Amino acid sequence: MARIDETKNELPLGIGKFGLGFMISAACLLSVIGFGIFAYYQQLTHGLIVTGLRTIGSGGASWGLYVAFDVVFVGVSFAGITIASLIRLLGIKDLKPIARIAELLTITSLLMGALVILADLGRPLDGLLKLPRLARPMSPFFGTFTMVIGGYLFASMVYFYLAGRSDAFYCAARAKRFAWVYRIWASGFKGTPAEYRRHHDVSYWMSLFILPLLVTAHSTLGFIFGIQAGRPGWFSTLQAPGFVVMAGISGIGMLIVITAIIRKTLHLEDTISEHAFRWLGNFVWILVLVYLYFIIAEELTISYAGGTKEREYTNALMFGPYAHLFWTAIGSLVLTFAILFIQFARGKVSIGWSVAAGLIVNVAAVLKRYLLVVPSQTHGMLIDYPPGKYSPSWVEISVILGLVALATFLYVLFVKVFPIVPVSEHEISETNPGVRSPRQGLRVALTAFCLLGGISLAVFGFAISARAFTKPYADPIIPFSPVLFIVGLMMTFYSGAVYETLPPEKGPPS
Amino acid sequence: MTMSEQTKSPAAAEIWDRILKKIFSPEDETPVDDSRRHALRTILGAAAGMAAMAVPLAASAAATDQAQAPENATPHKWGMAIDLDRCTGCGGCTVACRTENNVPTADPAHGDDNRGIYWMDMLISTKGSYPHLETEMMPIPCMHCEDAPCVKVCPVGATFINEEGIVAQIWDRCIGCRYCQSACPYSRRYFNWETPEFPESLRSTLNPDVATRPRGVVEKCTFCHHRVRKTKEHAKAEAKTLTDADFQYLPACAQACPAKAITFGDLNDPESEVSRLHENPRATRLLEELGTKPKVVYLRETKWRE
Repeated sequence: MARIDETKNELPLGIGKFGLGFMISAACLLSVIGFGIFAYYQQLTHGLIVTGLRTIGSGGASWGLYVAFDVVFVGVSFAGITIASLIRLLGIKDLKPIARIAELLTITSLLMGALVILADLGRPLDGLLKLPRLARPMSPFFGTFTMVIGGYLFASMVYFYLAGRSDAFYCAARAKRFAWVYRIWASGFKGTPAEYRRHHDVSYWMSLFILPLLVTAHSTLGFIFGIQAGRPGWFSTLQAPGFVVMAGISGIGMLIVITAIIRKTLHLEDTISEHAFRWLGNFVWILVLVYLYFIIAEELTISYAGGTKEREYTNALMFGPYAHLFWTAIGSLVLTFAILFIQFARGKVSIGWSVAAGLIVNVAAVLKRYLLVVPSQTHGMLIDYPPGKYSPSWVEISVILGLVALATFLYVLFVKVFPIVPVSEHEISETNPGVRSPRQGLRVALTAFCLLGGISLAVFGFAISARAFTKPYADPIIPFSPVLFIVGLMMTFYSGAVYETLPPEKGPPS
Repeated sequence: MTMSEQTKSPAAAEIWDRILKKIFSPEDETPVDDSRRHALRTILGAAAGMAAMAVPLAASAAATDQAQAPENATPHKWGMAIDLDRCTGCGGCTVACRTENNVPTADPAHGDDNRGIYWMDMLISTKGSYPHLETEMMPIPCMHCEDAPCVKVCPVGATFINEEGIVAQIWDRCIGCRYCQSACPYSRRYFNWETPEFPESLRSTLNPDVATRPRGVVEKCTFCHHRVRKTKEHAKAEAKTLTDADFQYLPACAQACPAKAITFGDLNDPESEVSRLHENPRATRLLEELGTKPKVVYLRETKWRE
């Protein structure tokens, strides 16, 4: 827990104090965001012709930087909810203070993932209206927008909201202005032992549910590429597992960087120990090793026994026009592994080197995603079309920079209005065992209703979206059935919040 | 102000109109089971204003739809055969297709920046070097796969296989994600990167039977579906029985081919010329190993590629 001077009745961690430094960085970020909006306006009025995208087969790639960064953003989001779940399930005490840092990273980067896909659509307005009305689970795209955005993002938000209640209660008591906002977040939290107990139980069960969702969400993104038989370089069983592992690498790498910055600027050296960095570093080097193994296994298979076109594609990737990017990515991965493994072997952790590793591995992650999306479209053609080329235009780069700035701005703004590390004791511990309320009838009944209702609605919505009870290629019998599926997923995850936030029943005070 | 300028900068009110229209009267429904929907719409429309007339109107609407249903039990399954031994590589098919289907021009000024649209393309591959140079030309339309990868991946069902086996697309339903473009192993799909423009001199030659496609949607060969429909309607009006000869050179590309290298027809009719050519020992399909089951076959005696 952050050491807070309890005698001063003030908000902790500089919340609500918008100094000159904040104003300058906010102005910089907002100008980058503004330029990104200007660039997107150009795309909106002139069409995707302002991008560097071209027609596949005619010498271009029809997916480029936008799709690559969708994978990057969704990948980075891996860290948050995984760390939160691991802390809960494995009881890693060293990582407890950085749980909220990680969860916020998940939420902001998932929002950017949703926005960047919108930027990629030729007709974004139609996308917004037609995906909820007609989306088909037969398309791997369905998973991206329902599971990732509807399920993964919402589940993370519920988790985030529940974990923040006790700190919101703490702030509501101290805030001079906008105390009502904190009171809404606290939603009746009073700090009773029964509430602690309930939070402990709910987060445990949510963690159990979220881990499979995490694997599913990252895999659906991998399947978008992995199940295209007509694209050498994409068509691979390793695509989905590779996505999950690479997401872990980039997400936890980014988390190391953000944690170090927050630790430095908010002077949290006592709260966030070096052990936290050791844990994160160890996760990253293990995952990097797994990923390198995947790459070797795949390249070995292709070069030993791959088809002609597979070999042509691999040649273009490793020795052709993409060679510099490919070997930079591989070199960065090896370097990251070396830095972090040496730290592990020596039993000493240097935060500076860990941050360097986190940055290097994210460069590798961006390059790998770019190399995943683009080369297969320009050089992975089964028909003898001439090879193509792609380089992003200023519009694409500005939109991406704008989104990165937007994510940073939202993150910094949140740190300025809410404690980014837990400031109040809200965990079950030896000193604070918590109790279970004796009478739970209505609470359990409502939770079960929400949980079971959510699951049935999700199954029903999925079946209707998958054109059950209709002729092939007909519209679903209930319009907007994908929304039913998303609402079902949301209800399922909201049942945790129902259990935790229902006001105590009347009866003998516990 | 030209038409394209108007579409480029719509007024706010116009955008709002479009939004409302998209929500409340979507025009992009799948034309499957049209009769039921038509009848339902008639009933709803009539009930609003003329409750008394609703029943006979709906009944008559349903009755006409019933009458229009195809009477033959086995529907058509359209296919094509392209004889490469006959093909002279003149490119007439690509020009005819462009004119027939209102495909925007691909001159250097308009989208020859690797963004041109070619429903029927000419794939030119060269082998060897001068003086032992071999150049081969291959007309390449949409393969109209029976197990089409583009149809599988479309997130909104904008593209589908219709009851006559044509991989069709509802232009207005497409959201422009371009997934179908990267999924197609033959790269036969084209995206409208900008608002299509037709020079003033070509406006009068636009085909009224084919809708032009807006910016931001993917488009492709339709096997000249509109010509098939027109032929059937004419035959019906004249109470004529359709024979294979009516369809054999029906699509614009086949009609334009001076060497008669392109044959079109019904694969469900074992007697048709195209069925015969599909059974020909010279027939091969492109990327047959992918299992997409293309309905376009190529015939060739000579070796195409090692």
